[in-house]
Amino acid sequence: MMGPGDPTLSAELRVEGLAKRFGGVRVFQDLSFRLGPGEVLGVIGPNGAGKTTLINVICGQLPPSAGHVFLGKSDITGRSPHAVSGMGLVRSFQQTNIFRSATVRENVARAIRFSGRGQESWSRVEPLLQEFDLVSRLDEEGDKLPYGLQKMLGLVMAYATQPKVLLLDEPAAGLEHRERARIDDFLRHARLIQGCSVLIVEHDMDLIRRLCPRILVIDAGAILAEGNPVEVLVRPDVIRAYLGSEDEEAGGRC
Amino acid sequence: MTGKRSASLRVLGRAETATILVFALVFVVPIVSDNLFVFSLLNQILIASMASLSVYVMLRMDLLSFATPAFMAIGGYTVAIASLRGLTDVVFLTLASFVLPALVALPLGALILRLRGTYFVLVTFVLTEILQLILFATPNWTGGSNGIAGIPALTLFGLALSDNRSVLYLTAGLALLAALITAAVMRRFHRHFAAIEENEVLAQSLGLGVWRYKLLGFATAAGLGGIAGFALVNMLLTAHPSSFTAVAAIDYIAYAIIGGRASMLGPVVGSTILVTATNFFGGQGRYSQGLYGLLIIAVVLIAKGGIVGTIARIFHRKTPTTTDTVPDTLRAGAEGL
Repeated sequence: MMGPGDPTLSAELRVEGLAKRFGGVRVFQDLSFRLGPGEVLGVIGPNGAGKTTLINVICGQLPPSAGHVFLGKSDITGRSPHAVSGMGLVRSFQQTNIFRSATVRENVARAIRFSGRGQESWSRVEPLLQEFDLVSRLDEEGDKLPYGLQKMLGLVMAYATQPKVLLLDEPAAGLEHRERARIDDFLRHARLIQGCSVLIVEHDMDLIRRLCPRILVIDAGAILAEGNPVEVLVRPDVIRAYLGSEDEEAGGRC
Repeated sequence: MTGKRSASLRVLGRAETATILVFALVFVVPIVSDNLFVFSLLNQILIASMASLSVYVMLRMDLLSFATPAFMAIGGYTVAIASLRGLTDVVFLTLASFVLPALVALPLGALILRLRGTYFVLVTFVLTEILQLILFATPNWTGGSNGIAGIPALTLFGLALSDNRSVLYLTAGLALLAALITAAVMRRFHRHFAAIEENEVLAQSLGLGVWRYKLLGFATAAGLGGIAGFALVNMLLTAHPSSFTAVAAIDYIAYAIIGGRASMLGPVVGSTILVTATNFFGGQGRYSQGLYGLLIIAVVLIAKGGIVGTIARIFHRKTPTTTDTVPDTLRAGAEGL
């Protein structure tokens, strides 16, 4: 079987033997996986499994204790977040992360400018702004938006940088049920129009099943399972990791 | 969009224009008045304004710096030492008093700009204290605890600037330069500094090389401090460590925050009101410090955004901050809804 480090596999993002420790506390160790071109990979695991730390390490916000991260053929291990972003690996944040005192227009403008893109990027983000009902609110300040729209604005900003790889940290967290379909719309744009590869950390198992052909389950800092969500989510060890009991099914309850 | 765009530029330029006009107006004072108290007060206000503009630049990156007096000392002592060695040309000294502190700030910034919050505040406070020690420990260069006295009259194109009028002209000229530098940097990098101030992590994740802009801001703030130090030494005709203590930084920070940190007019308004108040209350003997403190508390309680910020909020001129153009279809959508 080919491993994640196999050079014959094409990958937008490749993680090899990645480890992170804070002093004596081990968050995760020896994580290896790959994200293929145009692929959507779900990463799930109980709270404290190290999912957000994994994103922080991949995008350069935290240095790894060991291992390597490759973006295409480039080793981006230990590079600064802005350098990693400039190379096409961009993240979203678990909490809403926008410039709250700036208008929606200014938020998007900053994303376009900071990523070194030109004015033509506005026409790229226009359909997303329309889809998320943000066009009518272009001149509203970010903190005046409802929570759901703040989250979507954060995603639009990540999209406006024209990334090759998107790391989404719990994009559905805090969204109302009816708002969660917007994540589907966003991913459709990101994959089909922008051609992004996407890694999603998420607790919404319906969303994971819907959007991710492949998932990784992380528990206690190691990969517990990997594969098709339909098969993986019924595995007893995955259910035990999430719920602490084999009597319950993981699907839909996490 | 064009209308909004020009409105945005106008708003951005309004505070800058006002600041520059205020400083330019000072040139009129020596023509219409020969009151030495007014000259002295204006000198103090302008020097405080320059120093608090240095603080303001740092505040725009969400960094509270106590290093302003240290950079003022570098600028001031540069002028004192150079002028005693015959280098009295104002143009040269202005350049030196800006560039030297800025150059010192570059390696220093590389070391300390990774710090945030309290840690950065403490390190900049210690920096100023260390510079004090250096000033005392190098008497051959700085005169040690005696400072450097007997600074000769400076010259501009061969003309000696020795009388009180000339001192005020020079201070006003330096203040004008400081305002122009601040306006140029803030206008050019407005969006970058605003993003760093509000959400540095997000700015980085979108591709902004935050560290580079912080270094630029730190060097600019250092240069502005250096110019303020030049003006202070020129006014006092002496360079002494007591002019550049870390405690003085508290005043400059107070001027910037009370005046308002949202625009460069804030530090100037803060400096004008508080320096004038200090002079006024200074005549009230033992009550002066208490009255000064009460004034600060009152202003902070009433005007949380600073004086200028509060006035701006009252008028509530809400305009978009971006000057970007968006596609016509997007604009039409926005206007139609």
